[in-house]
Amino acid sequence: MAALLETRGLTKRFGAFEANKEIDFSVEPGELRAVIGPNGAGKTTFFNVIAGTIPANEGTIVFGGRDITRLHGSKRVHLGIAKAFQTANLYPDQTVMQNCRLAALASIQGEFSPQLIARSKRLSEVDRIASDALEQLELGGAAEARAGDLSHGDKKLLDIAIALATRPQILLLDEPVAGMSIEESRKTDQLVRRLAQKITVLIIEHDMDLIMGLSDSITVLHQGRILAQGTPAEIRANQHVQEAYLGGYEGAV
Amino acid sequence: MRERVFAEARFLILTALGLAVFPFLFNLVGGYSGLATQILMVGIAATGFNLLLGYAGVLSYGHAMFYGIGGYAAALMVLKFMPTTANLWLTLLFAIVVVAIQALLIGALAIRTYGIYFALITLAFAQMFYFIMFEWRDLTNGDNGLNNIVPPPIGSLSLTAPLPQLNLGPFGDLSQIHYWYPFTAIIVLLVLWFSRFLVASQFGEVLAAIRENEERSEFVGFSPAKYKLAAFVISGMLAGLAGALRALYDGSVAVDTLTIEQSGNFVVYTIIGGVKTLFGPLIGSALVMYLANVVSAKTEAWRLIEGLIFVAVIVFLPGGVVGSFARGSRFDFSRILRLR
Amino acid sequence: MEAVAIQLFDGTIRGLIYVAIALSLTIIFGMLRLVNFAHGAFFAVGAYVALLLAPKIGYYASIPAALIVLAILALLLDRIVLRLFYAKDPTSQILVTFGIALVIQESLRLIFGGTTQTTQMPASLMQSIPLGFISYPAIRLFVAVSIIVLVGVVWWILVGTNYGLIVRAGIRDRTMVALLGGNVTVASRVVLVVGAGIAGLVGALSSPIFGVDPNVGFSFLVPAFVVVVIGGLGSFWGAVIAGIFIGILQGLTTLVMPAASDVVIYLAMALILLVRPQGLMGESELIRQA
Repeated sequence: MAALLETRGLTKRFGAFEANKEIDFSVEPGELRAVIGPNGAGKTTFFNVIAGTIPANEGTIVFGGRDITRLHGSKRVHLGIAKAFQTANLYPDQTVMQNCRLAALASIQGEFSPQLIARSKRLSEVDRIASDALEQLELGGAAEARAGDLSHGDKKLLDIAIALATRPQILLLDEPVAGMSIEESRKTDQLVRRLAQKITVLIIEHDMDLIMGLSDSITVLHQGRILAQGTPAEIRANQHVQEAYLGGYEGAV
Repeated sequence: MRERVFAEARFLILTALGLAVFPFLFNLVGGYSGLATQILMVGIAATGFNLLLGYAGVLSYGHAMFYGIGGYAAALMVLKFMPTTANLWLTLLFAIVVVAIQALLIGALAIRTYGIYFALITLAFAQMFYFIMFEWRDLTNGDNGLNNIVPPPIGSLSLTAPLPQLNLGPFGDLSQIHYWYPFTAIIVLLVLWFSRFLVASQFGEVLAAIRENEERSEFVGFSPAKYKLAAFVISGMLAGLAGALRALYDGSVAVDTLTIEQSGNFVVYTIIGGVKTLFGPLIGSALVMYLANVVSAKTEAWRLIEGLIFVAVIVFLPGGVVGSFARGSRFDFSRILRLR
Repeated sequence: MEAVAIQLFDGTIRGLIYVAIALSLTIIFGMLRLVNFAHGAFFAVGAYVALLLAPKIGYYASIPAALIVLAILALLLDRIVLRLFYAKDPTSQILVTFGIALVIQESLRLIFGGTTQTTQMPASLMQSIPLGFISYPAIRLFVAVSIIVLVGVVWWILVGTNYGLIVRAGIRDRTMVALLGGNVTVASRVVLVVGAGIAGLVGALSSPIFGVDPNVGFSFLVPAFVVVVIGGLGSFWGAVIAGIFIGILQGLTTLVMPAASDVVIYLAMALILLVRPQGLMGESELIRQA
């Protein structure tokens, strides 16, 4: 099967520091790929480069067969790459519903639509996509709440809902359960499983139980490079990974 | 639907009434009736500036470049390009188109730079246009500016003609007003209506979202650069229209329309009047220009006082005169005066 | 040939002034995250101090006097108004510093009048010094050398001292410096005073050459903004290279097409924006996080 997302020789530097070094990576449609590694390994940077938050220094990114390396972030969203931010990035003064609605509006109307001076003809569609996204993250009840007033965990879920409302082909989740209670983590785990059945998901996580149980395959980053790649079983068995990161993890599959 | 029509009608009627009464106020408080027309014209430019700053969240320090070039475009149209067949509408349209192109070019260069840079770059480009107009003597007469501009009539009606006589008691006489005023007032009404419409539309909604959180907006799929550029061009066009009207009204245009001081004026009027409010820029222009007119007759320190008021407003009254009023509980004009 | 050499020198001096203003602007921005639209007014105050004091205490003495006056002014402004704005958004900062610039400018106009005046030069600098095949005014050489020394001192402080280390670190990551124990507030205040002082110093220094009027502030500030845009905000060498380049560009254009000499620097800026929007040395990502 052709890869949905590929990077070849991807390198990202901040001044003299190489955060990502020549990363060759590929993900197939429908996969749930976890990206793990110690802090500072370059995982978040990697996601940011793929999404277009920051530009790559070298290498290429190919999505759906198309070279998107030089493309602006907003254009990548329209191609189908959606990233949920590590720290929930919302419109705090708007309602939960309005947050999703804006994403849905962008998804339907495109990057720039001056015709929005007149009323959009497709408002019901926008509303439907937005409420759909909220339902999938079980936030429907909070639709009229002010986004800034949500609990930490709900804010992260809203961030994911916003990403979903852009109708993506691939969803990048950066530590979605960080800072959540055990309850919330478990709930998020279920939600992510369900999401992964419909779209391709890339997820950065530290919670090993979650990862091992959830992912189809795992990529391990260490000091900016790919250290290992494979199924959860393979990764658990990998010596290098054990030394660098897992430190003797023997948990359940 | 019916409520919407009712709200729009109420807005139009009240604004029209305000505009109708406005020039006659000067008979009561001092100042000359021509000041009213000038205030309206400057107010159009300030309203454009406010669309950019208050609603798109973009600070441009070169607004004068559109005001001035609009004025020169109109002047050149009447004096050199179509001296015998000048048509008022064509002249105004020409000025607007010239300024739109100018805004598109400048904006395209500047809009992708980070926020602070944008203010610096627009200031720099405004200076550039100042120097260009100053040095290009063949075209612009340099320092002396272009004079003897006769505004083309509307059909057979000359804008400089006075209205018919009608005694209005303490408010003076109707004939103190020239046709310039109602002409400009109608334009102002349309500009305000358009701004209101724009801000309430989904286009305005997206602009507001970009203002509230640009990164988030980019990553839901809006292009902040393109939306901000659109706002920049629209604001520029309004300034160009204002400049053109002013040049035709004054009968002359000079490089002082392109100075940093002029750009600063738009900033000051809008901030004092109330950024992010519909009537703020107009009221700010009225207040400051009126005070300038009255106070500078008595002291040279007017500009200093203006500067101090400006700083005071920024520090203490970020909503400006209108904004503070609207938020206050006693005079809740917010439904009429504000949009959101 | 002679004319070219003179324009090169003149251009370099202009450029050096732009460099000094751009650098002090950049340091203030880097450390306080404050976009200081009043920086030109600081320059103007320095020029007027020299204008006022040179006849009384001499040109040389008026220069440190300008430094002192600006230091006091900066501290006062910090106390009364600016400290409320350090944490605010750039737009509010630009607006309030612009307001301050207006107030300062108009005060100068009221006190000194609107006409252009010239600071009295000391007799020792009124001559022309032979340099190879041209004869160049000593005052200009003095100003040039002084600014080079000044920039050198700033460079040395930034790079060579612990204090400079705090400033440079503060430019990169203010919070971290505070967490690590560096006294960021004091360092910030010092940076503001030093930055304002540099602007005033250069204003005083160059006042015999360029004439002093209330608008002199913006007439040097706007080109300094161009330098900052071309060189990249936050970059020392970017400011130096861009500043000298702009100054020389202006000078050479005066030879070829005098009417365009004011405009050409903006065309250069437009070109850079087209080709490399982050500036020559632009640390674009660094500033994006600002």
